[in-house]
Parts: sequence; structure tokens; C-alpha cells
Amino acid sequence: MSDLISIKGSRDGLRLRLDANAAWQDLLSRLDQHLSERRSFFHGASLVIDLGEREVSPAQLDEMLALIRQHGVQATAVDSSERTTRAAARSAGLTTRPLPRYTEPVAAVESEALLVIRTLRSGQVLRHTGHITLIGDVNPGAEIIAGGSVVVWGRLRGMVHAGALGDSNAIICALELTPTQLRIAELIARAPERHEVRRPEFARVVAGEIVVDGWEAFKR
Amino acid sequence: MGRVITVTSGKGGVGKTTTTANLGTALAMRGARVAVVDADIGLRNLDVVMGLENRIVYDLVDVVEGRARLRQALIKDKRLPELCLLPAAQTRDKDAVTAQQMIDLTNLLRAEFDYVLIDSPAGIEAGFRNAIAGADEVIIVTTPEVSAVRDADRIVGLVEAAEKGPAVLVINRIKPRLVSRGEMLSVEDVLELLAISLLGIVPEDETIVIATNRGEAVVYDPNSLAGRAYINIAQRLAGEDVPVMAIPDQQGMLDRLLGLFGRRRT
Repeated sequence: MSDLISIKGSRDGLRLRLDANAAWQDLLSRLDQHLSERRSFFHGASLVIDLGEREVSPAQLDEMLALIRQHGVQATAVDSSERTTRAAARSAGLTTRPLPRYTEPVAAVESEALLVIRTLRSGQVLRHTGHITLIGDVNPGAEIIAGGSVVVWGRLRGMVHAGALGDSNAIICALELTPTQLRIAELIARAPERHEVRRPEFARVVAGEIVVDGWEAFKR
Repeated sequence: MGRVITVTSGKGGVGKTTTTANLGTALAMRGARVAVVDADIGLRNLDVVMGLENRIVYDLVDVVEGRARLRQALIKDKRLPELCLLPAAQTRDKDAVTAQQMIDLTNLLRAEFDYVLIDSPAGIEAGFRNAIAGADEVIIVTTPEVSAVRDADRIVGLVEAAEKGPAVLVINRIKPRLVSRGEMLSVEDVLELLAISLLGIVPEDETIVIATNRGEAVVYDPNSLAGRAYINIAQRLAGEDVPVMAIPDQQGMLDRLLGLFGRRRT
């Protein structure tokens, strides 16, 4: 990942941080590249843009918003310590939040893993750059998209994409693994037609294929 | 102050309107003051199901836009003086009303009635959002079909997100014979997925079709299984501690005989 931009997941969702000093055009081209290389993770996502202390004109901001929209990404808010930047964001119809000036980058609470306790229902999407643990069911029509591995302590009947940023070592496990579809990195597997399996299982990539096995078979 | 309860489903054709009409009638038969509101603007049919179509002068949009007072637009039921219908406009569409206007309207109705039942349009767009805007409680109607249950699940999530939950469930058109043969989702299958509490179940019943086409509520028919089911649901809605009505297996004799020989599958 380039130093100019970073996208991290946190409890509030995805956060895009842009280097405060680099040339704007360089940032945009890095961003374009970053999003197109990770299309399967970012498509349909929404994120908060952290512009730090940079002064951004309405035209520049529009250019960036148009760029991320091309990748199917929506901005929800802009954080900035600059008043002119926040004004530009407001005129683009985004919510803005002021950032304190001159803050030392506090070790940001960006949990590597996300724990969520609820039922994920049809139409709901849980997306995180790290690992995801869900305590509850993933119903048909619901989606989990994670940069890392996914653990479902419940019935997995919807769609899960683990390693969506390209990590083919990611695994997916569930108490009841009966998904409509599983994806790991670039691979896609459809659940086989089978009778109910009443034991925990996990899915991983073996020799370029997604393989599902009983939990007892788990060895690293 | 009355309770405002929206009846919705996501998928069309699962029985929202029939449920609204029959629950409203059953509650009014118990002596409650009930208003049923058709929020399906542009595709109204609660008035048809209740046989009140030819009495409409003003509608919901007329009230919201100030052309009529609420009293003028409310239509009294043919039999029950405690039951009133507020019909939808047929010549307008969903954009004719805002969520705030629906909230204001439900507040007016809440002051006059014990129950305000709102018949929601299918879908998850503006019409649905308007229909739940003023609700205190939400009833989700589904049938034991995979597609209807999927949509109901989506609605449960949206109702939660709108902080109107937890919704309660009515499962409509259960065919006991298909369930016992394992060819239809059972009540348990549906509840396992949706994980919300069950208000009641209604069997597939041809008396519903006959009554609906006549513009009469099926709850008047003491011989109708579906009518009894709706009365059971109204009792539970009113807070009575009665169990969910069991649906007798209509396969009847043959099944009982097979049961004697212990051949019945569990």
C-alpha cells in the first residue's frame, strides 16, 4: 500500500486518509490505482474521507468524488481541520467534521478484527478491512466482505467474501456453513447441493480451489 | 391514546390488505374503536376488500393537503359503527405524501381510535417508508415461500433500522398437507430464519377468496378456518394470553388411519 493514501476499517466504517503534502494529481492517480486493484472489496462501499490539514477547493473535491464514484464507492463524510476544505465538502452535499489541528497521530483505535453481535439480514452488508467475527446468523441475501478471515458463530446462509483485498490465506468458518456463495480472494465457490450438515465447518483455499472441511480437519 | 400498527411485507400478494381488513374487523367486533388506513396510494384496494369502494368521497391525500377534514374522509363500515376506513387516493402516487405528513396524520387518528391499522404498499421505497413513519408497532405478513420469507427478512432489517422494531410475524396461507409432506416451509423453518416473535398463522382457505371478492370480512363466518385464525390474531394483538391457533391437518381421515398404524412421519 502506498504511503500517500491509506484506507482502514474501524468501528465507524472505512476511512480514507490522504497525505497532506503530496501533489493532488499524484494522490488521485494513486487512489485510482488503489481502488481498481481492490475492486471486489470496494465496490458498493462508502467511506469517510480524512483530508487532514490540506486545503482542498470545491473543484478538486468534485474531481475526487467523481473518481471514487467511478469505482462504485460513495463518500459519506469529510473530516478536515481546514475551514475552506470543509466548506467545499458541504457544498458537495457531504457532512463534515472538524479535526483538531496539530494532533500527533494518536495510535488510532483501528481494530484489526471486528466483533459484531447481531443477525445479518437480507440486504445488509458488513464490510471491514481486517478480520470479522459475527455472533449471529448470516441470512440469505446478506453479505460479509472482509480483508481478512471471517468467523460466523451461527448459520451462514448468505454470501461471504474473505480475503477480499487479495489474501488467499484467509479462511471462512461457521457453525453451519450453508452459504449461497463463498469467495476467498479471487476465487468463487457455489455451495454444493447437500443435506443439512450439523457440525462446524471451515473453507480455505487448497491448490487454487475453495475447499470445505469439517472443523476437526483444521490444521495450519 | 391508540396504538398505530403498520401491516407490511416487502413482497406483494402475500395478504397484507386481507390481513389489515380482517384484523381491523375482528378488533372492532371486540368493541374497540378501529381505523384502517390504506397507505397504498395509487393502487388502493383496502376499500374494495371491505366493500366500501362506492362510499368514497375524500381520501388520505385530500386530508393531508387540507381539502377535507379527517372526519369527512373517514368512511364507516357497513356493519360495525366502531370501524372506519381512511381510503388511499387512486389518481395520485406515492410522492403525494411525505413521512412527516403521515406522522401528523397518525397522531390525529391515535387521539380518536384505540387501534390504527395501516395497510402498507409492497416494496421498500417511499410508500413503505411513509407507511411505517408513524407506526408504534409493525406486523410483517409472509407466506411460507422462500421468496416471500427472503423479502420479509429484508423488511425486518429495515424496520429495525428505522427503530420501529421488533416487528411481529403473521404467516399466511399455510397448507398443512404440503408442510406435513415436507414440501412447504413449516412455521418452524420460517421462524428459525426470521428470528422474530410469531403473532399468528393463517391457513390457506377458500372462504377467504369468496369473502374478499364479496367485499366482506371473513371473520364474520364462524365456519371459516381463516376467519377463526384472524380472530385468534386479534386476541393476541389485544394482549390476551391465548396460544397461536393450531391448524388441523385437512388430510383428515386417511392421516388419522395411517396414524393408527404408526406410519406417520414426524
